[in-house]
Amino acid sequence: MAGESNIRTALSNPAGWQSLLSFSILALAYLAAFSSRLFAVIRFESIIHEFDPWFNYRSTHHLVNYGFYNFLNWFDERAWYPLGRIVGGTVYPGLMVTAGTIHWLLNSLHITVHIRDVCVFLAPTFSGLTSIATYLLTKELWSQGAGLLAACFIAIVPGYISRSVAGSYDNEGIAIFALLFTYFLWVKSVKTGSIFWAGCTALAYFYMVSAWGGYVYIINLIPLHVFVLLLMGRFSYRIFVAYCAFFILGLLLSMQVPFVGFQPIRTSEHMASAGVFALLIAYGFLKYLHTHLSSLTKSEMRSLFFFAVAASAAAVLMAVVYLTYAGYVAPWSGRFYSLYDTGYAKIHIPIIASVSEHQPTTWVSFFFDLHVLVCTFPAGVWFCIKKINDERVFIVLYAISASYFAGVMVRLMLTLTPVVCILSAIAFSNVLERYLVDDTPKVHHIEDESEDDEEGDKRNKSKDLYDKVTKTAGKVRKIRHEPSGEPESLGGNVKTIVVMAVMMILMMFAVHCTWVTSNAYSSPSVVLASYNHDGSRNILDDFREAYYWLRQNTDDHSRVMSWWDYGYQIAGMANRTTLVDNNTWNNSHIALVGKAMSSNETRAYEIMKALDVDYVLVIFGGVIGYSGDDINKFLWMVRIAEGEHPKEIREGDYFTPQGEFRVDKAGSKTLLNCLMYKLCYYRFGEMQLDFRTPPGFDRTRNVEIGNKDISFQHLEEAYTTEHWLVRIYKVKKQDNRVRLDHTVRKTDIKPKTKFTSRKSGKRKRGFIKNKLLIKKGKRPSSKNKKPSRKSSSKK
Amino acid sequence: MADCRKIFSTFVCLSVVFFLLVVDSPALGVKKKEEDDEEFEWVTYEQRNFPYPSQNALGDKVQQLMEWSSKRPVIRMNGDKFRQYVRAAPRNYSVILMLTALQPQRQCTVCRQANDEFQIVANSWRYSPSFSNKLFFASVDYDEGADVFSTLKLNSAPSFMHFPGKGKPKKGDTFDIQRTGFAAESIAKWINERTDVHIRVFRPPNYSGSIALGLLFTLIGGLLYLRRNNLEFLYNKTSWGIGALCIVFAMTSGQMWNHIRGPPYAHKNPQTGQVHYIHGSSQAQFIAETHIVILLHAAVTFGMVLLHETAVSKGDVGKRRIVTLVGLGIVAFFFSLLLSIFKSKYHGYPYSFLIK
Repeated sequence: MAGESNIRTALSNPAGWQSLLSFSILALAYLAAFSSRLFAVIRFESIIHEFDPWFNYRSTHHLVNYGFYNFLNWFDERAWYPLGRIVGGTVYPGLMVTAGTIHWLLNSLHITVHIRDVCVFLAPTFSGLTSIATYLLTKELWSQGAGLLAACFIAIVPGYISRSVAGSYDNEGIAIFALLFTYFLWVKSVKTGSIFWAGCTALAYFYMVSAWGGYVYIINLIPLHVFVLLLMGRFSYRIFVAYCAFFILGLLLSMQVPFVGFQPIRTSEHMASAGVFALLIAYGFLKYLHTHLSSLTKSEMRSLFFFAVAASAAAVLMAVVYLTYAGYVAPWSGRFYSLYDTGYAKIHIPIIASVSEHQPTTWVSFFFDLHVLVCTFPAGVWFCIKKINDERVFIVLYAISASYFAGVMVRLMLTLTPVVCILSAIAFSNVLERYLVDDTPKVHHIEDESEDDEEGDKRNKSKDLYDKVTKTAGKVRKIRHEPSGEPESLGGNVKTIVVMAVMMILMMFAVHCTWVTSNAYSSPSVVLASYNHDGSRNILDDFREAYYWLRQNTDDHSRVMSWWDYGYQIAGMANRTTLVDNNTWNNSHIALVGKAMSSNETRAYEIMKALDVDYVLVIFGGVIGYSGDDINKFLWMVRIAEGEHPKEIREGDYFTPQGEFRVDKAGSKTLLNCLMYKLCYYRFGEMQLDFRTPPGFDRTRNVEIGNKDISFQHLEEAYTTEHWLVRIYKVKKQDNRVRLDHTVRKTDIKPKTKFTSRKSGKRKRGFIKNKLLIKKGKRPSSKNKKPSRKSSSKK
Repeated sequence: MADCRKIFSTFVCLSVVFFLLVVDSPALGVKKKEEDDEEFEWVTYEQRNFPYPSQNALGDKVQQLMEWSSKRPVIRMNGDKFRQYVRAAPRNYSVILMLTALQPQRQCTVCRQANDEFQIVANSWRYSPSFSNKLFFASVDYDEGADVFSTLKLNSAPSFMHFPGKGKPKKGDTFDIQRTGFAAESIAKWINERTDVHIRVFRPPNYSGSIALGLLFTLIGGLLYLRRNNLEFLYNKTSWGIGALCIVFAMTSGQMWNHIRGPPYAHKNPQTGQVHYIHGSSQAQFIAETHIVILLHAAVTFGMVLLHETAVSKGDVGKRRIVTLVGLGIVAFFFSLLLSIFKSKYHGYPYSFLIK
């Protein structure tokens, strides 16, 4: 009996309902986040996508097989031949360690899964966690309702899905979770001012540092927050404690990651945090002095205090500038500097500029990735500024800085997406809160259950149940009440209309997200699919076909030259040594490959001999019309090669005099004879794709190729896949005997034919060829002539 | 109050004077530097011990050219000098020649810009540590040496030519302005290709931006100082909010893309004369288009804020209802407009709302 009454009170307790509801909403959001990322797995198979994930997978595999310490000491001799790569010291190990830990945990529970499956499903799992972290952060910033809405938004928003579909096993997948969780803990520690939360922040920051290079964003945003709070005169000892504890612990922890090492005290990217730390200490000290010097008048005190703070700020700034000039602190690295000076990378670092995700963002990509959120989140900024407090300063700064970065680079859309979700959720919840709530004071005559509900609403107005309207019964019940509204309120009809319209827009958002995820972001790019007119699907599996060919048919230690995009895949799938790969750390090595690709065959053969190349692999899309092939990337190879070898390679040589890049007959001679062109179009001139086009018609560029007569001297075709997407050539060994290019021997002997053509009386009659002639009464003259002939031939 | 004004006016005067001084000073500095360097150059010239060629004519020519180029980095030539020093046979030096028309009556604005860039390259070479007598910069003005243009068969200015130490100029020795432009960096790169002389272009730093910024800050500081008794406007959340929203709108509408790629404002079809404000592809955009998008974003945001404000405000209910519906209409209408623009750009997008 007592138990029953307990349950009854629990059921009628609004707080209980609320937590049950929010729990179930979060669970559903987690489920939605996980399942909407599985399109690729369902359509294709459980496979690692794209390029970088293949390296991550390979190193995770190494970690699982050989253990953590062997992984940290791993020297990979299969990459960057002949240099090799110290993998343990040049990766952010967080991703591999996370996957390895999960794998170990599952296996020790006797759930035997392959490490590949852990890797494939890691990103969706962490996306679910991200939505929970978003909920926590938004709850701290605004209200529980907004938090639930934000969790739902981030679960399905395409801007985040783009980097976290199943199989996209990349750092960003876990880094966004770490980012948001760090921010949540930071906001929490600013609110409470406790060392415990600040320590947790530092731990989360450590996880972020070990996972992604984007941790620099955190270590600049948090000091910026503290600095702005100082400027606004919102200094408090809560902030002092939180920041000092976080900074010291975070600094020490971040230096434990091998790849980061001493960077936090040696590079300009981290100097802002140290400067703010010094300033905060100075401010705290002056504040302390302030309490002990009471002899001065108040205004004198204020101005003195102000000048002291300004002077210490100037001193800190000067110190940082001096250290940078003196060389103790490295200046901004090119990758970060190009965010500030947007033209920098284009001029100085072509290898950064060549990557498509480093391009600036058009408004279309913003809308594509964020849909309605992109135009409503400014409203959230507005509400936050209107009701500003310490932690809302943080989210506003986050919004402004992230939108700037996202504008400069497409890939940084990823850091903007969470804040857009949070602020949009705040905007929507702030609006819906007014229209979903029944603000009539007279509710006593309605039935019991809802009375409790209303009381709950009055107690904490914002903590209501509106936000998951599509999923819960809460909304329906609310709307039913609204006709009984008082004249002061806006009236039920208007409210219903507003709520319905907003719901419509949100539903469109959900539909859009699903469509984008399914169509744009769920292609593994290792396997291509094309659709026929009747909707049936063709799978083009050329990449794996070629890589498995390499794996099965070549020597274990053979070296494959390709453009750097395919390095990780060759290492991961074919298990062969590569010259360059997607970890573009050595520009000159890449330039050497670019030079080989853009020189003619003889020159290229010299480079390939010097680099011990056994096979050359190119991607050619002309047969099926695949636009991401090597000919379309070719100009970047030329540019990168030109950056290192300006004497031999000139970009201008590959253009027509009119400045066009053409592969047809009008194209420049240098282009039509360079190695890349020949490798791609070898024997393509004999191939007629359909009857409307001439033989050798390139479908990607829609032209008939200019050089159909291609033959190789030092290479031979080894393998071409079904759709010609990947072509592999074997580099011939040097001949045993070097053949000279012989020209026809030149002598001054008159050719014999001249004699035969002489018209003599005998010939007319007809004679026997080489008939011995007997000359009488004379010595044969040939004996005299012979020595002279020999001497002349020697010449 | 009068005191305040006095202080303010003196402050403005001072800042203007300061501004003028700072603006003028780099130019003065450069002139001075040139004079100094001339003397300095004379001293070093004798110490350097140039490997004089055996031919006396060549030695004289080189010496003469060195003398000129120490006076000014770009040697001005007329027809006679051109023939003697650039065309005539005994040479062991390269000459980069700019053919231009700088006289005001020629009205060649491009020539002036090209001349500035050329001067930058020449100055960088002149004051670089690797300066030698292997490379000289010269220019011929059309009004001083029209015969040079006719001998070189040129009928347009500006153009840059390279005269190598041996032999006649080849095809690549004419700088292709059409394709590469005439920025100092590309000229230096071309020189590097033709002569193997690497010139690191050093532009005289442009202080105008930092001066303007400094002036702005001092003005703001001055204003704050003058109004120090009434600093409420700093706590005005509305203005800060508007500022923050401006940044956000500018970034999310792709202004940074415009800044980096420099697209046209709008496209006018030359055949029909129709003006397109929206780019047809999702990969690019016009400036006009981004302005439209800013307006749409701002309208939706405004609608959202309106919906919230009207719900919390206390006033006449009928009025508030109307305002609510207006706010909702703004949100729905402008959002659907945005969606339809997006649909027209992103081919194959299936959804639309209210407007097709």
